[in-house]
Amino acid sequence: MSAAASLDARSPVTDRGAASAPILKTELLSVRFGGLSALSEVNFEVARDKVHAIIGPNGAGKSTFFNCLTGVLRPSGGRIVFDGEEITGLRSNEISQRGIARSYQITNILPNATVFENVRIAAQSRRHGWNMFAHHSALADINRKAEAALDAVGLLGKAEELAANLSHGEQRNLEIGIALATEPKLLCLDEPTAGMSQAETDATKELIKRIAENLTILIVEHDMQVVMELCDRITVLNYGSILAEGSPAEIRENPRVLEVYLKT
Amino acid sequence: MTTAPLDKAIPLGRLRLGHSAVFWLGFCAVTVLLIAAPLVLPEFWRRFLTEVLIWGLLAMSSDLLIGYTGMISFGHSAFFGLGMYGAAGALLMVSPPNLWLAILLGLAGAAGAALFVAFFSTRLRDIYFAITTLIFSQIFYVIIFTWTAVTGGENGLIFTRPHLTIPLLYNARFTSTTLHWFVLAVVAGSYLILHRITQSPFGMVLQSIRENESRTRAIGYAVERYKMMSVMLSGLFAGLAGVLYAIQNEFAAPDFVYFLTSGDTVIYNVLGGIGTLVGPIVGAGFFQLARQLLAQAFGDQFPYLIPLGLVFIATIIFLPQGILGFARRWLNR
Repeated sequence: MSAAASLDARSPVTDRGAASAPILKTELLSVRFGGLSALSEVNFEVARDKVHAIIGPNGAGKSTFFNCLTGVLRPSGGRIVFDGEEITGLRSNEISQRGIARSYQITNILPNATVFENVRIAAQSRRHGWNMFAHHSALADINRKAEAALDAVGLLGKAEELAANLSHGEQRNLEIGIALATEPKLLCLDEPTAGMSQAETDATKELIKRIAENLTILIVEHDMQVVMELCDRITVLNYGSILAEGSPAEIRENPRVLEVYLKT
Repeated sequence: MTTAPLDKAIPLGRLRLGHSAVFWLGFCAVTVLLIAAPLVLPEFWRRFLTEVLIWGLLAMSSDLLIGYTGMISFGHSAFFGLGMYGAAGALLMVSPPNLWLAILLGLAGAAGAALFVAFFSTRLRDIYFAITTLIFSQIFYVIIFTWTAVTGGENGLIFTRPHLTIPLLYNARFTSTTLHWFVLAVVAGSYLILHRITQSPFGMVLQSIRENESRTRAIGYAVERYKMMSVMLSGLFAGLAGVLYAIQNEFAAPDFVYFLTSGDTVIYNVLGGIGTLVGPIVGAGFFQLARQLLAQAFGDQFPYLIPLGLVFIATIIFLPQGILGFARRWLNR
């Protein structure tokens, strides 16, 4: 394999080789808050172009894990490798620029901006941020990206509404739209269906399915129906450690998972 | 009204290019009025109006921080003062005094102060940022007040006004009318630049920081650097106001570096309406006019800050978006 690769560096074989490497990898990742160990030596991988879920009871370390990945928290130990580069300890803006985007468990948008501006500002973050001379609405490429992101989450019809005036479900989807507008390689969704009605949950599930066709997604979710239907792979966290990992079918049958999580 | 004090009358992103006809019409009308004003006003009020424009520029510069970036600066007296002393230095050292050199050195002084303040204070937020800018401006005040050999200490510096020169085209003494027009040109130009900056992609990042700092960081913006740039730009325009004030009054005095000047600047913003650029100019005009009329009615010793303080409190309670925000809502009704 490596011999073939060295003969022709641009061969499709090498490309496929790179593509099969995990897009995200953590090695012995640990976070301690004082005496409390929120994550202890987590070794974790996300495969390219898959939907990977992290589940676990409250306090299992899911949000802490997300916060580590996106630079909100500095890990106490271990490494995070994203797309072949170490990103441990980078700040959240640097991590965003590398290609990891996230949505938040508690809606985190610009409430006093229009829906369009919420995604437009995210779309312009790749190269136009320091432009002081153009009018912000005159950047055609950015407008197109923003429209595409809104279209993907089904909010194009509400582009001119104030974000604060959207329904809870729509705001949750706007969250995803903002993340998409940064054109990430990995999208991390923190409980995207939290607080949604059944109808909204179903719509968001379909939405994530569509997005997943050309994006790697890491998702924290409590709704088991959503997880089982969407995900290729599931990791179960408990007390800051990995309890089990496998396909939805394997996780459903795993006696230890049933004991700590699914039965309760 | 459920709006927080920092909210704007127009939501972020709703201002599109299509508004430009109304904008330019309004801009031209006000500019024509201000050009014509010195031709009809008596000498005293002509000077007064010029001074209001200068305070307006100072207020507008701090609006970039307060209204658009959401950082309340109590240190604008330092930028204003450094602009003033920079201009004074240029006018005293070079003979014959040169207008453009004064502006250049004034801007350099303000930029130096702004770089210093920006570097140390933008790591902090909210009240901590405000207090830090206040402390830094007081440091500059103490240096200027005590370094008598260079700054003239308590007495300040006195110099003569440079000629109004446009190289190869024009060279004459300033009259109160040409000075007014010169100040108007600088202030109007600054307004157009600041207006464009606030509507640019960069300006939208500043407003995004004001609305939600952590989210702005999460979508990939190095928030500290944007804040530093905002402080620098704001300081530059405040320094420009200081240069104009020095040229108008032919002195630089430490009183203007004292934090009371910064306090007045914040008051102009709140009175006029933050996050509007024009509002702070209106606020400065209102404040200065009220002060002047009170002094004329009750004498120079009248404690004018007491009634103005009451007006300030009433504004915060009843017109949280300031005079301009109120006028805009009233016009839209």
